[in-house]
Order: sequence, then C-alpha cells, then structure tokens
Amino acid sequence: MRQVFNIAYYETLHIMKDKVLTLLIIFVPLFYAFLCGAVYVSGVLTGIPLGVVDLDHSRLSREVVFAFENSPRFKIITEVDTYPLLEEGMKTGAIRAGVLIPEDFEKKAARNSGAEVLTVYDGSNLLWGYNIRKYTMEVVNQFHSNHAAAYMAGMGLNRHEIYDILDTVSLNVDVWYNPTFNYATFMLLGIMMMVIHQICLLAVGITVTREKERNCWIQYLASAAAPWKIFLGKSLPYFTTNCLNYGLLIWFNYCFIHVKTGGSLFLIILLGLLYAIIITGTGFFISLHAPNSLLVTRYLMLLSVPFFIISGYTWPQTHIPDLVNILARALPFTWMAEGFRLVALKNLNLPYLVPNMLALSVMAILSLFLALTFTKQRKPPADTGVFDLKNDC
Amino acid sequence: MEPVLIVTDLVQKVGKKTVLNGVSFTVHAGERFGLFGVKGAGKTTLLHILAGVDRFTSGSVETLGYDVRKSGAFKKHTGLVTQKRSLFEDLNTYENLDFIAALKCVDKDNIFSVIDRLELREYLNKPVKSLEAGVYQRLSVACALLNDPDLLIADELINGIDIYSRHIILKELERFLSNGGTCVRGYSDIRFCEQMCRVGWLEGGKITLYTPVEAIEQWDRQIQALSCQNGTDDD
Amino acid sequence: MAIMGREFTYMWRDRELRNILLVGPLLGLLLFYATYSVQALTDIPTAVADLDRSTASRELTDYIGSAENLNIVACPNSFEEVEELIKKGKIVVGVVIPENYGKNVSLRRQARVEMIVDGSNMIYATNATGAVLSVTRSVGAKAGVQSLIAKGVHPDQAIGAYQSISFREEPWFNPTLNYAYFVVLALALNFWQQCCTIAACMNIIGETGVGSWRQLKAAGVSKLRLFFCKSAIQICTFMLIVCPIYALSFTVFKLPVHCSFGELFLFNLAFVIALHSVGTLASSIAPNAVDATRFGMIVALPSFIVSGYTWPLEAMPGFVQQLAKIVPHTWFFQGINYLTFKNPGWHFMVHFYLAFFLIAVACYGAATIFTCRK
Repeated sequence: MRQVFNIAYYETLHIMKDKVLTLLIIFVPLFYAFLCGAVYVSGVLTGIPLGVVDLDHSRLSREVVFAFENSPRFKIITEVDTYPLLEEGMKTGAIRAGVLIPEDFEKKAARNSGAEVLTVYDGSNLLWGYNIRKYTMEVVNQFHSNHAAAYMAGMGLNRHEIYDILDTVSLNVDVWYNPTFNYATFMLLGIMMMVIHQICLLAVGITVTREKERNCWIQYLASAAAPWKIFLGKSLPYFTTNCLNYGLLIWFNYCFIHVKTGGSLFLIILLGLLYAIIITGTGFFISLHAPNSLLVTRYLMLLSVPFFIISGYTWPQTHIPDLVNILARALPFTWMAEGFRLVALKNLNLPYLVPNMLALSVMAILSLFLALTFTKQRKPPADTGVFDLKNDC
Repeated sequence: MEPVLIVTDLVQKVGKKTVLNGVSFTVHAGERFGLFGVKGAGKTTLLHILAGVDRFTSGSVETLGYDVRKSGAFKKHTGLVTQKRSLFEDLNTYENLDFIAALKCVDKDNIFSVIDRLELREYLNKPVKSLEAGVYQRLSVACALLNDPDLLIADELINGIDIYSRHIILKELERFLSNGGTCVRGYSDIRFCEQMCRVGWLEGGKITLYTPVEAIEQWDRQIQALSCQNGTDDD
Repeated sequence: MAIMGREFTYMWRDRELRNILLVGPLLGLLLFYATYSVQALTDIPTAVADLDRSTASRELTDYIGSAENLNIVACPNSFEEVEELIKKGKIVVGVVIPENYGKNVSLRRQARVEMIVDGSNMIYATNATGAVLSVTRSVGAKAGVQSLIAKGVHPDQAIGAYQSISFREEPWFNPTLNYAYFVVLALALNFWQQCCTIAACMNIIGETGVGSWRQLKAAGVSKLRLFFCKSAIQICTFMLIVCPIYALSFTVFKLPVHCSFGELFLFNLAFVIALHSVGTLASSIAPNAVDATRFGMIVALPSFIVSGYTWPLEAMPGFVQQLAKIVPHTWFFQGINYLTFKNPGWHFMVHFYLAFFLIAVACYGAATIFTCRK
C-alpha cells in the first residue's frame, strides 16, 4: 500500500507542476458551474415581451388584453400596436408573442358567431415556444372561466350557483418534482455530470500518454511494480479530485442556484463513487493505449455534446430511435444523469434505481478490470518518421 | 556457470520493418556482454525486449530464469539504463531517486547508498532538466542500481560524457561486477569492446558473437576493405 | 503559395485532425438528426386510472385519449399504481378519475379529477401541461354547458357562456413546433465549431512548437505572411467542411431555411474568421499544442449554452449577457436562428458582422503581440 501512496504522491506532484492541468481539474469545473449556473439562474421565463394588436377597442377586447396584462409571465410592449409592427417585432426578436383581436370582435361574441382571438408565438426557439404556449393556455383558461362567470352573473345566477356550475367537473393539475418548471433544476444537474465526466476524463486520459511522451513510462515498465499498483497510484489523485468536484458542484448548485437536490445522501454518494470509478478507470485505459496527449485531448473534448444529446436527458428516450438508444445505453453518462435525476429530483429510493446501479456497477467493474490488468509490455514504438507534436518551447 | 539470459530465435517487427530477424544468444552469470551495432541496428530494441519493456513478434526470451512473456517477476532483479532520457524531467534529482525507489519497492537506505557511490549529493535539489549529460547519466545509473540488481542492462552507458562522470560510472560498474552482477551493454563505439568479455555484433537483424579482439579485427577489416575500394576507385 | 500548399499538406498529414475535420461534423449531424428523427413531441405516454367505470368516466377517458399529443399507454386500477408508473418513468401524465364520478356528474355535484404531470423533464412537462390544460378547458366547458342546460337555461345561451370566444394559436416560424428544426442544425454546427477550434488552436503552436520553426525563422520568411497564408488555408478548409452540413440539412433532412444561400455563406465566413482568431489567440498564448487545445476547449464547450440558442439570452443575468457577447459563438448561433427561421434583413444583421469584425481584430491583434515575443 505504501507503494501505491508513493506513486499517488508523485502523480500529484506531476499534476501540480503542469499549471494548465492543475487549473483544469481544480478551477475549470467550478468556473463551468458558475457560468452555467449564472446562465440558468433565473430558472423560469417571465416578462415575455408580448405585442397586442387590438383592432376592436371594445370592452370585451380590453378584457382579453387585461387577462394577458394580469399574467406575471407576460410583459406587454406598448410600442407594438399594429400588425406590421407585430410582424416586424417577431422577426427581430423584439417581441416573442402576440395577441391579435380582430375588428367587430365584441359584436361577433355577442352574436355567438365565431369571435376569435389569434395568439401567435415564436417557434424558432422552442424554449420560448413551449413555454409561451403553456402560459397562453393558462391565461386563456383563466379568461374563459372569468368570462363564463360574468356571463352567468349577467343571466342572474348568484355567486354560489356560478361557482357550482364552473366547478362541476374540476380537473386538478398537479405537477410533480419540478412544479415551478424551473429550467435550472432541469438542466444543471445533467450539465454538471457532463462537466465532471469531461474534466476528469481529459485529466486522467493523459496520465500515461504524458509519461510516454517524456519516455518515463519505461521506468514504470522496467520496474517490478504490479500493474494494479501503478493504476491505483496514478489514478488516486484524479479519483479524489473527481469526488471532490462532484460534491462541490452539487453543493454549489444547491446553495447558489437553488437547484432542487434532495433524496438519499447515501445513494448520491454511491452514484458519485461508481461514476468516478468508471471515469478514472476508462480514462486510464484510454491513456494506456493512446499514442499521445494531443490525440486524447482532441477526441475526448468532442464527446460531450453527442453524449449529452443522445442520453435522453433532454429529448426523452421514448422519442429517440432504438439504435441511438442502444448506443446511449452503453455510455455511463446516460445512466448516471438519469440515476442522479431519480434520486436528487424525484427523491426515489434504491428499488427504482436498480437498473441504473446495476449498469453503473457493471461498467465500473469492467473499467477497473481493464485498467488493473494491463500488460506491462508495450507495443514497440516506431521511432522514426513519426509526426511528433510533443514539444516544449 | 548458469545462464542469466537465453534468447532464442527472437524476431521483432516494428510496423513493416523487421528489426530483429532470428536472434539467439546466451549470457552467463558474471559476464560482461557487449552488444555492438551501428545506429539503427536494433540494439535499443533488443535491450528493451531483454528488460521486459517491449513486446516482441516471436521467439523466446528467458531472463533470470523467467519467460519474459509470462512473468515480470525478474524485474525485481534487473536494472535498466536507457539511451534516450527517461527520468522524470519535472522532478529534481532526489525526487527521481525517491520515486523510482518507490516503484522498485526498495528501502530509503539504498537511495543514500547510491547517492554516495555516484557522488550525486550536491545535485539533489537540482531539477533533472538542468543536469549536465554526465551527471544525468550518473543519476540514471543510480536509479538502475537502486534495487541492487543481478542483471544490469545499459544502453550507451558512457557515450559522450565528461571524463569524471565516466570514471565514476565505470568504477561503480566494476564494483557491481565484482559483487557477482551481470551486465549487458549496448554501444556503437567499437573501442568499448575492450571492456567486454564477449561481443554480440548486430547487423541486418542478425547477431554474430565474437571475442572482443575478434570484433575489433572484424571492424578493422571492414574499414580496410572500404579504403581499398576507395583506393581502386581513385585509380 | 508554397506556404499555403505546405499548410494544406500539414493539415492533411495530421491524421487525427484530418479525421476530425472530415468525418466529425458529418457524423455529428447524422447522429443528432437520428436522435431527433421523431421531430415533434407527440404521443406523450399517459395513464388513466378509471376507478368509476361509468359511461361518463369512459367518455372522459376517450376524450383524453383523443386529445392532441396525449397517448394512453396504461390503465391502472388505483392511484398508487399511477404514482408507481410516474416514479418508474413509464408515463408522464397520470389521470385519476374517482369513484362515483359518473354519479356526481349526473347529479350535478362536484366531481374532482386528479391529473398529475411529471415535471422532471421540462420538455415533456411543458408539452404535457399544454395538452392537459386544453383538455381541462374543454371538459370544464362541456360540463358547465350541461349544468346550465339542466338549470333550464336555453342551450344557445349556455353555449354562449362558454364558447362565444375562441382562441386560436399560431406558432410562427416553426408551425409544427418541430424540435428537429430547432436544434439539429445548431447542434451540428456546434460540433463543427468545436472541430474547427481544435484545428485553429494549432495555427501558431503548430509552427512554434516544432523544430521547423527555427528553420522558418532562419529562412527569414515574414511571420505576417506565413500566418496570413496559413490562416487563409484554414479558413477555407473550415468553410469547405461546413458546406456538406448545410447541403445535407437543407436538401436531405429538409430543415427550414429562410435566407438565401449567399447570405448564409457570407455570415458563416464572417464567423469562421472570428472563430479562427480566437483559436489563433489560444494557440499563441499556450506553451504547447495540448494546452492550446485545452484553452480552445474551455471556450468552445460552454459557448453553445451561453450563446442563448436554447435558454434565451434575455433570461440570463446582465453580466452573463455581456460576457456572452464577447465570444463569437453567441453572435453566430443567434444569427443562425434569425437567418434560418426569420430572415430579418440586412439592417438587422449588420450588428452581427460588426461584432465578428471587432472580435477578429482584437484576437488577431493580441495573437500578433504574443507571437512576436516568441
């Protein structure tokens, strides 16, 4: 065990002497957490710029406008009051939604002959699109019941009767887990898992290639130190920083961005440990077989976007083709992001996490096996005519 | 004398090039075996295989009684001095010794012993990057001898270094041999043959064994043949 | 010219770089398109627990089943089962129709129906809530009209109370709320942009880092000319590899585009120059190629998130908005959105070009200063 700690100690020294690497594993995760946290900190889209074109200017049309005015979601942009301006505003992004009340609106309503309000919204960004659609529905539903109540009051029904009628069938909509539709709660946990994934992989991925480039790897190979000791020693600093970063980022999001993070602490720790094992194990394995650090850095940095997209963390798995799903299922991020959401957001306990835990455990065992049992004899390097990018200025 | 190294029909292909093509030889305990060849003859390739660092294409290599493909246990009793710099450039002299001692799982006492023997005390806090070639080579030898090996594999041990360092290294080598150690040395300067018991001449992927005297004679013959040829051309 | 040729062979010989540039962006596009191939989020898995099993409750179930976007996949027998299904993630919307629902409705007594939406995935949740809200409105209206009629109100009047005004919604620029239209091209371009960053980060370090730098210095080639030629060839390469992405997106995948190809090309060129300047800057301050790539990565990876292409720029705090405007990616992704969906015209896009120009001047300038010191 002393040998393992000695190797770990010197690996830490190597890390500290490479300033950019130190920066990468200590400050960059926090920087990313801060940056993404700041991006999503508002969490909910409010004050959506809305243009209202009222061609009727009647009592009823003002009632409609008032309903939108009253909603905390919308902010009416008064400059936009004609259809051409509405069109222009939508094109330039000055407004994201519009309400169009036609002429003779009130008259038509009184005659029951198809009085229609047109609501438009910007579908070019579906975050605007989906949210505005939902908000509009809410406003319209509210307007409808108010309107019906007023109408019935006009017919001479008393308040109690009106209430009874309106509530004949009450459909109570209950949103679980993220009732405020907070985007930060939705996105940040996944993004943080990706940050940890990427940073640790980039750091541990060059632990052996760096030695190969400096020809020091030969010292490990020529010594009698067992492969598993070399792996444990070399990956211990990365494993530790990975775990620390995991805790740090969760804490940061919880405290400063108010991302909902609940659930069993034990499960969160267990997930984090499995995840860290998989990443360090796989990173070490990649590093063993990759020819140089530049290649590792280049390829690994490209992984984040596709991994995130196909994981089903945003666009749901049910709507992703099987082929892509199978691919995603082979990646630890998919299981981790889902598992973490189940614990932290949905507050579920172990029985619901069995598939995730199982998959992560299998991956952890596999990556450990690959990393622990490497042969200490390398492929002979072809040392002539190689395009060698290793350099120190 | 029991054999320390048995190499049989060793073939090594790197990419499409066959570097070693059926090399066989045996080295006995206590022997100073010289591996001579010009640059690119495959000395380093062969030495790395003997040290159990590189995989090879076919044949068999037995070092200190172990098949190098099956077991790495012999590495406890070997030391390797590489031709290309292979110490940890970002660490200082002492840290290098300490770390390699940790890799080799040996006591701290050994570190101080080699520091004294190779006169490295004044360089302990210097970064390896800044060491002169001679001191660097002394440090490499010190690292290789940390575990008191039975077999020392050295690639270009004293080529092109200052006389004082060379003297210290050769003195240490004598000490190592007198304690019963075996040494395999690769070099490309024919004059070093005098320091060997036997010489293996690597050329075209094959090895030919000579006594030191024979090897030098062979070298001279080649030189003469070449100058004769030039002479006839001149005529 | 010789330098240009050399740079081209240089990029070609760097096998990984070649693979990344040639295969990467296209592979990304295909993968993203495959992921979003369903395109719109319809058929949200729904469960209805009908504890009443009356005609009225069956009617309601049918109504939910026929609602836009909802798709009934399970009919559990209790509230607990619905809860379980939501926890397991099998369904997103759960509806529980209580016992005596039919009786209450026919007796005009209040009947409560519980609808649960899983809010853990926002894309699902916003869509599901929209669908559920439209159901509640129509069901409520229908029941209200019936109540009024039962109270002896004239049917026309009863309908008037509820249905005299209708609201029609019209999503502009993306009428089917197609998610693939929204993200596939942007994600592919994001991937392309990362690949380009990797290449651009080699611009200076690729020279100063290897031995030939001394030879070039000794040969007295002007640095300015050298890097101008190198940059020109890199920028051309980046433009060349983006063409198949656009071609495939607009012809095969039929993603929408509302501006002319010339405009798109020009806009893209302006971005590539700005992006290249950022890469060049990274490569001028880094001590080696690996670090240069890391610097590039630190900027390129979060740029998409910060660009406001998904979570809107307007919803971010002020200082993040200002920060975002420093990186060219923000202008690019915003601009791409405007160009492909809206095409707001030249006078609007001028700001974007101006931003690219300023970024490029600043970064190239800084890179020159750093390189001259080497």
